[in-house]
Amino acid sequence: MDFRICLENLSVNFDERFHLNNIDWTIEPSQHWVITGTNGSGKSALAAVLAGVGEIESGQLSGLPSRVGLVSFEAQAELIAKELKKDDADIMDVIAIGTPVQEMIFENCADPELAAELVEKFGLSHLLDRAFRKLSTGETRKVMLIRALSSKPDLLILDEPFDGLDADTLAMLQQHLASIIDTTPMVMVLNRFDEMPSFITHVAYLEKDGHDGGTLAFKVDRNDESAFAELYQLLHLKTTDLQVPETDPASKLPALDPQQPLVKLTDATIKYGDTVIVDKLNWTIESGKHWQLSGPNGSGKTGVLSLITGDHPQCYVNDIFVFGFQRGNGESIWQIKQFIGYVSTALQWEYRVSVSCKNVIISGFYDSIGMYTKSTDNQKKIADEWLALLGMSDRADQPFNKLSYGDQRLLLIARAMVKHPPLLILDEPCLGLDDMNRQLVLALIEKICAGKETTVLYVNHHAEDQIAGIEHYLALEKNA
Amino acid sequence: MANYFNTLPLREQLAQLAKCRFMDMSEFADGVEALKGKKMVVIGCGAQGLNQGLNLRDSGLDVSYALRPEAIEQKRQSWKNATENGFTVGTYEELIPTADVVLNLTPDKQHTSVVKAVMPLMKEGACLSYSHGFNIVEEGMQIRDDLTVIMVAPKCPGSEVRAEYVRGFGVPTLIAVHEDNDPKGEGLALAKAYAVGTGGHKAGVLMSSFIAEVKSDLMGEQTILCGMLQTGSILCFDKMVEEGIDAGYASKLIQYGWETITEALKYGGVTNMLDRLSNPAKIKAFDLAEELKQIMRPLYNKHQDDIMDGTFSRVMMEDWANDDANLLKWRAETAETNFEKTPAGDVEISEQEFFDKGILMVAMVKAGVELAFETMTAAGIIAESAYYESLHETPLIANTIARKKLYEMNATISDTAEYGCYLYNHACVPLLADFMKGIKTDVIGKGLSVEDNGVDNARLIEVNAALRSHPVEAVGAVLRGHMADMKKIV
Repeated sequence: MDFRICLENLSVNFDERFHLNNIDWTIEPSQHWVITGTNGSGKSALAAVLAGVGEIESGQLSGLPSRVGLVSFEAQAELIAKELKKDDADIMDVIAIGTPVQEMIFENCADPELAAELVEKFGLSHLLDRAFRKLSTGETRKVMLIRALSSKPDLLILDEPFDGLDADTLAMLQQHLASIIDTTPMVMVLNRFDEMPSFITHVAYLEKDGHDGGTLAFKVDRNDESAFAELYQLLHLKTTDLQVPETDPASKLPALDPQQPLVKLTDATIKYGDTVIVDKLNWTIESGKHWQLSGPNGSGKTGVLSLITGDHPQCYVNDIFVFGFQRGNGESIWQIKQFIGYVSTALQWEYRVSVSCKNVIISGFYDSIGMYTKSTDNQKKIADEWLALLGMSDRADQPFNKLSYGDQRLLLIARAMVKHPPLLILDEPCLGLDDMNRQLVLALIEKICAGKETTVLYVNHHAEDQIAGIEHYLALEKNA
Repeated sequence: MANYFNTLPLREQLAQLAKCRFMDMSEFADGVEALKGKKMVVIGCGAQGLNQGLNLRDSGLDVSYALRPEAIEQKRQSWKNATENGFTVGTYEELIPTADVVLNLTPDKQHTSVVKAVMPLMKEGACLSYSHGFNIVEEGMQIRDDLTVIMVAPKCPGSEVRAEYVRGFGVPTLIAVHEDNDPKGEGLALAKAYAVGTGGHKAGVLMSSFIAEVKSDLMGEQTILCGMLQTGSILCFDKMVEEGIDAGYASKLIQYGWETITEALKYGGVTNMLDRLSNPAKIKAFDLAEELKQIMRPLYNKHQDDIMDGTFSRVMMEDWANDDANLLKWRAETAETNFEKTPAGDVEISEQEFFDKGILMVAMVKAGVELAFETMTAAGIIAESAYYESLHETPLIANTIARKKLYEMNATISDTAEYGCYLYNHACVPLLADFMKGIKTDVIGKGLSVEDNGVDNARLIEVNAALRSHPVEAVGAVLRGHMADMKKIV
């Protein structure tokens, strides 16, 4: 590679909702960068600029290569949204199937041989005929990675490439990236310092600039040890004195029998055709006993959770007892959901309605995506307290879908916790969050665990994100 | 079987056509109680059948699926849809005799054979539910006296019916009771409970009649919803190419243009759609629409007359009996049009550009919506029904064209709608031939080339007043208001 990318006093406008201001940055050939910073500081935006996104308002941008490979949550969400949109095809009576993985990967592929090899390595061979939108979060991410890697890019931009991958896949990917560093310059957005590959040579740190902007605050050479340590410190700012807001007395839930478990799955099985995803799982969750659920991508974690929440259609053919209801006896899912607070990547993708940040939090009282009922003054007051806790008071009335990915996640966590539910399900709640917000969220979860009201069910790949108070572990295996 | 509508005296015909009332939330206080513990058996497991069943089950109701033996033996898609979602599946003989409510969610064309097969198996006093009244009203199907007959029709695609329910909301729904078949007087209670079970009550329920539903649905789909968009696509494309505009650009402008301009319609009616244009362009679109309305009004009247007196359904059923000869021929012809065969070019068209360069398309939508609405209300259909079957559904159909052009539109609408759409198109294309001769690229393809955007004040005031005072705007504002009240968009 023989190009040098120069950003000189560059200001970029993203549809008037976000601005990158006065960026000075040079990427020399042979350098590999990590972009990091706080939530909402424009990390993903800066990476996207290198892929040609945004409207340049002033300054110079030169040296961008023509072929840029980009993997990001935003791009992933966009692809999923595009696929979901195809669903609307059935004005009358046709079921849309969606694009198969095979087509997603091999159509317009520059290096089919590499793509085929990566499909094998990522363990996606058996999914080639599956519709892309039927894949799990981790699986869609892998498809995105394969597409980018096999496009033979002149510059590879990876926005949080490791989030959502299990340990084996992560190691394999890091190894592959290490093998192409001589031919492919890389820019990565990473929220975790400890995931930074050894070949990274430089770090760019972004800070917020005004309420809807960000700028490049520091550029650090990895060889400069003291500067590097300071940057690390900055990202690990400890949070202090978190007070979880009270719930709304008027939204009080029906009392549960303390003698009965919250959840009891007996021989729970999930299968599609002849493929068994979960095989005869027995699991009881007693009130006050917090659990951590783990397992590789595709082991059925999300499936098990959705049996509990009532979102899985096969919950009606399983022996499931939840919150006093034996499923399939005339109860409605809303009677089940009222006892559960829930956060997941899938929820975030589904939360595509246009509502204010405050209403997103209040919707937790109604278990709805969007608000369809008039909220009470007390509910609004509680939502304000949560916004203050998250440091987002100034965004109460802003539309949720204009926020950064990480800020959206924080709000959804507040939404899940707002009613102090008997069961709080956190499915990879830290995915896509920066270190500071990760600490905030983990501290919140610990506070909730320490209280008596809520039992926590926590799903996470990352071993270091352990929560004090969780003493029960369930590890799912992948069915061969 | 005789056309049911035609057997009624005029007084009763008018009374049935005039039925359409936006129900109050308080009328649904009993929730799903009327269906609690009853056995609901769905026939048909396509997008409506499957998604309605999922919602009803999640509302605590007992749902299973009756399929034809071939579908079960060959493990067809309908069988897979039902079993993978954990539903009980059985043959008509196994399930229908146990059913308290049979939900007929098959395509129109199959209604007669399905109902004939099902009726003898149904138990005394059970309920038969439709989502479209063609079979009862046009085909005159006679249902056993002891059976209750209702209609529950969500006004959205099946996937939306499910997606909105999962969000904690629903989609607007039309309900009706067939008064000749309500022996126990429980039809309304069952229909309301069914609407609650699918989540429809949260988005608004219209209480209508079988007759009003059929006559307005047929009219809307044939004219503005599908017919006008098909004719408009073909004429606008050919005109642009004839005037030397790049075919790829023309194809893209039309394919995605309908979706973009009717999105403005969805949010704020015809007024908002025209407000998206510059003042000179707005006046131009208004004048074009007036001219179009004058030319096309006899055609809209003819469609409505043929629908009212049963000519349309009779002729279409003759084609059914003739192995769909006309339908298939017209479908093939549509595939051969230049618009259909020219892929959208790889060019950027901004959202506003679709309006600025598609003035004629805006005029066509305005003319079609208003004509359909005016014709329906003149024929005795109440304004609320006419609004839903014209303006409200236009963006939904426009979305299908954006996806895969006319092919997609005609593949996703019902065969009945498709047949009516071709009828309209065949009459409308020649009808507009002279009008199109006077059309240039200033209103389709390039946009107005004016020195400045100045207009005459008096004329602009006149146009704005005419736009805002049209009756479809008045009822639209009220109905969209109901929706917005429930679905708080902040």
